[in-house]
Amino acid sequence: MEKAELYETFQKGLTSVAGECYLAKKADLGTALVNVFQEKDTQDVAIVETALLKEAGVVDALQKAGIKVDTDHIRKNAPDDKGGVTEADYGIANLGSLVQMKDNIDNRIVETVADVYVGIVKLSQIVDNFDTMIDIMADTKPFPKFAGIITGPSRTADIECVGTVGVHGPRQYSVIVVEDE
Amino acid sequence: MSNELLKQEIERAMDNAPLQKALKKFTTAYPGNREKVYKGYDFEALREKVHEVKTYARDHLDEVMAEFIKNAEANGAHVFVAHSPEEAMDYALKLAKDNHVKLAVKSKSMASEEMHFNQNFEKNGITAQETDLGEFINSIAGDTPSHMVMPAIHYSKEDVADLFTSYTKEKEEPIISKEVKTSRRVMRPKFLAAEMGVSGANVAVAETGTVITMTNEGNGRMVGTLPKMHLYIFGIEKFVAKMSDIRYIFKVLPRNGTAQNITTYLSFYTGASNVVSDPENDTREQKDFHIIILDTPERRKIMASDDYKDIFCCIRCAACLNVCPAFRLVGGHVYGGNIYTGGIGTLLTSFLNSRERGKDIQNICLQCGTCNTVCGGKLPISNMILKLRTKYAQEDGLNPVHKFCLDTVADRHLFHSMLRIASVAQGMITQGQPMIRHLPMFLSGLTAGRSLPSVAPQPFRDILPTIQQHVPNPKGKIAIFTGCLLDFVYVDIATAVVKALNMAGYIVEMPLEQACCGAPATYMGDVDNAKKAAVMNIEAMHAEDYDYIVSACPTCTHALRDYKDMFEDDPEMYKKAEELCYKTFDFSKLLSMLGGLPDNGDGVPMKVTYHDSCHMKRFMGVYKEQRELLEGTQGVELIEMNNCDKCCGFGGSYSVKFPEMSAPILEEKIDNVVASGADVVAVDCPGCLLQIRGGLDARGLHNIQVKHTAQILVEKRPNQ
Repeated sequence: MEKAELYETFQKGLTSVAGECYLAKKADLGTALVNVFQEKDTQDVAIVETALLKEAGVVDALQKAGIKVDTDHIRKNAPDDKGGVTEADYGIANLGSLVQMKDNIDNRIVETVADVYVGIVKLSQIVDNFDTMIDIMADTKPFPKFAGIITGPSRTADIECVGTVGVHGPRQYSVIVVEDE
Repeated sequence: MSNELLKQEIERAMDNAPLQKALKKFTTAYPGNREKVYKGYDFEALREKVHEVKTYARDHLDEVMAEFIKNAEANGAHVFVAHSPEEAMDYALKLAKDNHVKLAVKSKSMASEEMHFNQNFEKNGITAQETDLGEFINSIAGDTPSHMVMPAIHYSKEDVADLFTSYTKEKEEPIISKEVKTSRRVMRPKFLAAEMGVSGANVAVAETGTVITMTNEGNGRMVGTLPKMHLYIFGIEKFVAKMSDIRYIFKVLPRNGTAQNITTYLSFYTGASNVVSDPENDTREQKDFHIIILDTPERRKIMASDDYKDIFCCIRCAACLNVCPAFRLVGGHVYGGNIYTGGIGTLLTSFLNSRERGKDIQNICLQCGTCNTVCGGKLPISNMILKLRTKYAQEDGLNPVHKFCLDTVADRHLFHSMLRIASVAQGMITQGQPMIRHLPMFLSGLTAGRSLPSVAPQPFRDILPTIQQHVPNPKGKIAIFTGCLLDFVYVDIATAVVKALNMAGYIVEMPLEQACCGAPATYMGDVDNAKKAAVMNIEAMHAEDYDYIVSACPTCTHALRDYKDMFEDDPEMYKKAEELCYKTFDFSKLLSMLGGLPDNGDGVPMKVTYHDSCHMKRFMGVYKEQRELLEGTQGVELIEMNNCDKCCGFGGSYSVKFPEMSAPILEEKIDNVVASGADVVAVDCPGCLLQIRGGLDARGLHNIQVKHTAQILVEKRPNQ
């Protein structure tokens, strides 16, 4: 798949499960995040920093916009922060999924406890479909102690089969795909 | 439990309005949603692969399990192989006590329910908190799951509001979005405070020592992320050999379970991953990761049984529940045990939890075979339930009344004499009408929602010699196997079959020593009488003297074709049965093979809708031929009704044993017939004809006729 098609497919997959999807250049990532959190009335955010997020100056952008940011003591802080940001290792285009392929406890905490979650993934890291992802997983040796795939907000249909989002995990789930330079 | 108690359970379920509403809503939407989500995927190929990878793991279980344990332990997991639920429970309790656990948060684990995990923790003063919303609702109510994927489907939002009010001591409104928020608010501090997380596995991968869990709510991910100690519990049926194998299971499981492409969370744990043990100081360490594998003698017994070992290919997707007409009516509390529900649940309950409960609920299966067509692991579920029925009948004996009836049917002379007497004696009930609308006293249930046909004045065996078979240059000779209904009730169908085959160039004869096909005995688990019928009919039909054997009843056809399986240790009988098998066809299939009838008809418009019989479509794969024959007849306009291949509720003796279940299934069929706008319902099964015609008659819908395909083909060609 071409890059534009990969993004479109990913966006279609994610929006079909009530997720939101955005495309941004690295330089605009901070602004994109500010927009998402402001729109969702989020004043405090836990962020698990990565090289990409640091290079993009994400923490600075959020703080300048008046948003409180926690980057350490995630287990202590994240449950009290409304927002959360992590970077995924992969995306799966046809499903709109994000994939973690490393045992990073902070990532897992933020991805699970945030009310308003924003995942970041590089466009170059999006694979076309589930089979390709499983091929990558099968070839990853040693297999990481934790791996996880997340597709959209937490959901349940346990009461009267009525689909409802946000039961234990994020209620609002967005992904910003970063165009590689 | 007596049949009466089961019937009381059925009655209660059918009177439970919220349950009925939820079951109807889900099971009505499910088939279409499932179809959509498989768009672009080859389901048959996928489930073939699921079957293959699960079969491999089962057939190499000891080496696969050893590899799993080696790899999980190499990554810091502690693995305990438990040989009984009690042993598993002792391990879990010791673990909790040794580590001063006060609160354990659980995501769904059916294996833990086999251990009575929650009750045993509570007895020892430890709280085992179910965190899945449905399981949480059940735990407040002190209830058990009624569906394997949607465990609290039997509660309305009003029920949930009352339960939450009693739990939180705060008034809960019956608004689903608010109830979901309450669940989040109540559960969040528990996730954060719990010392132990407990999970169940969907799959365990040997080559990496990985356990994998699929959830939607996020509770599974929290249970595996926040507490310092993490305990996985699963049975030996969950293994696959390679990471690459999981692709098939996780493509089928969400699509079959809840009609999703993928669930929200798919979590892979390989040994002891990191955890934050002291939030204040942000201290990280490896979690205390334990795995209990339930390797019980009951599971090994399933594995060793040729009849039931495919149970190991089950991926617990619950598709068999979602499409089952009986489950749709009563849900999993009736059609299930305390843990496992529906068709697969009947098998699992029988072998893993309660033989007695399994024995009762296997009766609820209609044998329509719809479950087999959607099963994610390609299990022949209904066939296995029939084997289970037979096993119980052999081990415990049959109900004496049922046994008496089956013995009577198996005695050809006695049975046929009784039917001849009945054709005369029924006068006081039929009062000259062709249908019996009410039966007296304890038989009244048989005419609940449908009328019954009366016995014909003259059996077909007496009529056939009077039919002039004008076949100038016969192409061959066909023997008709009428079965009881065509011989003694629907003689007009048998006559039409003869006329149609005459038109196709064949002479039809009826070997007179033939008897009941044995299906009633087979479907009630009476192997002796089924075999007696097989011997009688194999000898009677003289297959060697005919080009083909025709039957106009798919159940009889299926029975005749299966006779050979009963004689695998008797080469002489096997050979005869094999010849009978290969020469026997259902009317429409045979006529189609013989080139059909000339493309003509009287041209008079007739709107026809076709009802597929379960045996004809799902067990013999015949559904195109009869439609082609009908559409090739001038004047016939074929209109497909909604759910044309859904069971009509007849199920042979089922409609006699469970008229309260059969009647609403028929009701739906009648609704679909009426909605189609057809004048005639075409069928190929006299049992379905009996049921649907009876249902229409009972509702006064005399303008819609029900006819066998043979009758329509012949009636539309009056000059042939």
